[in-house]
Amino acid sequence: MPVLWLRVLLHNKFTRPALKESEKNYFGQVLFLTIGILFFFKYYNFFIDSWINLFQFAGYGLKKSWTLNVILPVGISFYTFQTLSYSLDVYYKKIAPTDNFVTFATYVAFFPQLVAGPIEKASNLLPQIANIRNFDYTKCTEGLKLILWGMFKKVAIADAIAPIVDDIFLHYATYPATTLLLGAVFFSFQIYGDFSGYSDIAIGTAKLFGIELVSNFKFPYLSRNISEFWQRWHISLSNWFKEYLYIPLGGSKKRTFISARNISIVFLVSGLWHGANWTFITWGAIHTLLYFPVFFAKKNRKYSKSVVAETSKLPSASDLIKIITTFFLVTLSWIFFRAPSITIALDYFRRMTTYFNYETYQHPNGYRMIDYYILILLFMGYEFYIRKNERQPFNFKSPIIRFLVYTLIVFFLILFYDDQVDRSFIYFQF
Amino acid sequence: MIKLFLKITSYLILLLLALEGLVRFFHLAKDTPQRFIDHAKVEKWVPNQTGISVTGIRRQNSAKYRINTNGFNSYREFDPSKETFELALVGDSFIQGFHQDYDNSIGKKIENVTSDINVFEYGYAGYDFADQIHLIHAYKNDFDLIDAIVIYIDFNTDLKRGTYQVIEDRVALQSPLNNILKKCKLLVYIKSIGLLDPPKKIVANVINCLKSTTKVSVKDQQTKKVVDYSEVYMENFKKLIHQYGFEKQKSWLLLNSNTTPKVFLDYLHSHHFKVIDFYQEFKNATKPTFLIYDQHWNNYGRSLIAKQISESIDH
Repeated sequence: MPVLWLRVLLHNKFTRPALKESEKNYFGQVLFLTIGILFFFKYYNFFIDSWINLFQFAGYGLKKSWTLNVILPVGISFYTFQTLSYSLDVYYKKIAPTDNFVTFATYVAFFPQLVAGPIEKASNLLPQIANIRNFDYTKCTEGLKLILWGMFKKVAIADAIAPIVDDIFLHYATYPATTLLLGAVFFSFQIYGDFSGYSDIAIGTAKLFGIELVSNFKFPYLSRNISEFWQRWHISLSNWFKEYLYIPLGGSKKRTFISARNISIVFLVSGLWHGANWTFITWGAIHTLLYFPVFFAKKNRKYSKSVVAETSKLPSASDLIKIITTFFLVTLSWIFFRAPSITIALDYFRRMTTYFNYETYQHPNGYRMIDYYILILLFMGYEFYIRKNERQPFNFKSPIIRFLVYTLIVFFLILFYDDQVDRSFIYFQF
Repeated sequence: MIKLFLKITSYLILLLLALEGLVRFFHLAKDTPQRFIDHAKVEKWVPNQTGISVTGIRRQNSAKYRINTNGFNSYREFDPSKETFELALVGDSFIQGFHQDYDNSIGKKIENVTSDINVFEYGYAGYDFADQIHLIHAYKNDFDLIDAIVIYIDFNTDLKRGTYQVIEDRVALQSPLNNILKKCKLLVYIKSIGLLDPPKKIVANVINCLKSTTKVSVKDQQTKKVVDYSEVYMENFKKLIHQYGFEKQKSWLLLNSNTTPKVFLDYLHSHHFKVIDFYQEFKNATKPTFLIYDQHWNNYGRSLIAKQISESIDH
């Protein structure tokens, strides 16, 4: 909380309307301090440890007395980026600075999306906070529907399969390839359900206050290539990097080599943003490598304005193969995201590709596994059905069908609720 | 705003009704038979009830129960006679068997592997040794006709009392309000899966905050002696045996020697109590012997117990 308020005060002072020319260099100080705070809490120990390990690798023993025992403030990466976007927009005169401290503080600390996004740009959120809002029935009901859908994704998908993922990743050395593949696939759904569930709840809650937040997920597992995946996964972060890092670096308007360098930087920084661990950086590097073929083939914008099976009820065979391939590649990259270290990730990967021996996997608590397979299939089927509008998951004309879907959603919530699972959202740690 | 509240309320009511229907359709919630205390001060089930007992989320384990005219879960009636060989199984929920179909119980399994035997299962969840020995004493006329008695005893949980007294708590739970609430299967289900625990915890925390609590110093806690209950439990056992008597010739104690203190095992041995120890049988088992989400013996575990009892009794 003190870190959050420090940010509010820091950025608010910088952006007063009557900012004198001589105070402009204050912008540099703000940037330095903002990133410095993030670096201190999140990356200081990581870099110190990495240096020590590097020296140890070279044969020089160093004491670990430089590492600090600091607690990472919840959601620091999110509100750092949100406040940075405000200061950058004001500096580049994209928006006018606000002279209302309460409005600004509300923008930084807007509770629904404070700890895990979506990362809002000031140009979208600030005017909405500043404006007088009246009760809007439609927005309220839309918000409640999104909250219900988000809760389903969190409780019935992410939390329900979390014990399976935990078990497989913890005991990966004892499981055959099929089980390890199952663990990786389930983690894909766990992290999607967890993070997009939170985003839906945040967007829905904001709607109850009459505020529209940006969409953060648009059915990423229906993507036909990696580029489309990144246009559908954690959209607010992708847009942030695009606007404040990729484009200032030159974007894709310069030579191919420079563009490739810029893409690499964005993915590596994105990996580092997620956590101070080489696993996240490797995850970013893998996505760079996956993105390059699409980029060099100039297919990175091919699906930017369309969704699979736009005009048909079912995807074509070719689209289906592309979706499965993209999902498979993304799933492999999640192994590095989920594993506690590079060594374990590589070993997991090695076993998954060499230890072919089918064994029926048993749930660690003895529950029927078939329930989870059916659940995931139904979930993906429903995601496909609603693929055209992520903001309206229950867009049925018939009130009877709508009610039946609500009933089934709540029924699944109580079916898959597990009191043994007590989990916060995965992205709170970032 | 009013429209929203009215719509939410009406949706909520319809939703609860629909969920109640779904929970009933899939039989996710357990049926709970009625209890009572009979003329002999024995707590048991009200006779002639049937239903399905369910444990775990999404009905992970379910079993049909049938309460016979004697008030116990069994496929048969208990009508002891001099003509046939009868075995009484006395115990708690493990013998009661709400985690298995009543026609696939330990008693039935014993009957399947032993010729000419009728097994009467006097099992009731929550019974301890005081309940069990009181029951045998209370139904003396029946037990005099029964040829063999096997009492399941867990030293660590069943010997906390040295005298028998009717425990009113469980029967008192059957208040009219509770009985009505139990008819709401949705409520029974969400309670069983722990969905009501978080709000209950919040209420409890609020109550605790409002109450002034007496602080116990760390020093006081440290000076508390760790009590060895083995001696107390042994004394309770002796006291109950002394009070009610024990027919050593036709009675066996079914126990797991691995969870029973040696001093108690030695006492039983030196005082000629007959014991059926299922530790080795379970240790040598090739498959799991317990239900994962229920913690009672599974079908295989029950088969092993039945086999061991069948081999141990003098028939």
